[in-house]
Amino acid sequence: MNTQFDSLQQFWEMAGHGPYVWTAVLVSLAVLGWLLIRPVQQQRANLQSIVRQSQREQVQQAAAAGLSEEDK
Amino acid sequence: MASGRNWNWFHRMGSPRWFYETTGRWLPWLWVLTLGLMLTGLVWGLAFAPQDAKQGNSFRIIYLHVPASFLALAGYYLMAIAGAIGLIWKMKLSYMVMKSAAPIGAALTFIALFTGAVWGKPTWGTYWVWDARITSMLILLFLYLGVLALQYAFHSQETGNKASAILALVGTVNIPIIYKSVDWWYTLHQPATIKFTSAPSMHPDMFQPLLVMIVAMYSFYALALILHTRVEILRRERKASWVRELALQAEPGGVAQ
Repeated sequence: MNTQFDSLQQFWEMAGHGPYVWTAVLVSLAVLGWLLIRPVQQQRANLQSIVRQSQREQVQQAAAAGLSEEDK
Repeated sequence: MASGRNWNWFHRMGSPRWFYETTGRWLPWLWVLTLGLMLTGLVWGLAFAPQDAKQGNSFRIIYLHVPASFLALAGYYLMAIAGAIGLIWKMKLSYMVMKSAAPIGAALTFIALFTGAVWGKPTWGTYWVWDARITSMLILLFLYLGVLALQYAFHSQETGNKASAILALVGTVNIPIIYKSVDWWYTLHQPATIKFTSAPSMHPDMFQPLLVMIVAMYSFYALALILHTRVEILRRERKASWVRELALQAEPGGVAQ
């Protein structure tokens, strides 16, 4: 099987249809990429915020335990 | 209890934790499959498939236009069914899937409309016509955006879920109209290239890469839906102890910069 184009230049120009084909390809890939990258970033932020919150709660619990020790 | 056991799988599937852990094992394979098929199909379609006798190279847009349109429609059914399951069995996970399907479907519908417009210019001489196929696809985009907007329109998540699910179900009326629009009305849009009832009206050299792209888009859809649903699960279950343990394992440092 051979490519339909003799050079990269021809592949880019596509006998005049290049601007249409490549606009469609690039915009589609950008949208598809966004659909995958965004949830990956959100998931990372979610996990980090859950860890930070549980650390805060541990510190608060430790502080509360310390106070009740002093009460005795 | 036989009946109790028979329904076990159903309840397990409704558990966000079960979904999260199971899909976590699938994800690496889905990434490889999706990226591999997408790259193969695109290079094959853009560089190797012969050009169309009438349309020249502009027809190569079909390799994105048709798969995106397929999944924009199939994804709508999935979203509506997820909404129905949520309404009937009050399954939380089902509503999370419904919510996740909305932005993905909207993005795919946008790709279908955008690539169609760009393809229309060299083929029909215009980017846009208000014909039945294109207008009904635009309505599909608004339905997806409506389902998404209703999620944020109420204070109670419960009310938002029900409202979204009802809109999704009512909107399914539009799907057969989209399918049939090229047959029912006079339109510039060409009739379907692929039909289940007859051989494709396309040369095999052109058709094979299209088939690869359609499978790639199904794989992409599964991947995107799973990723979005997992974000939703962590967001809504962040107080659950299994989520905390999981977060501590994944991000032991916990300090985000």
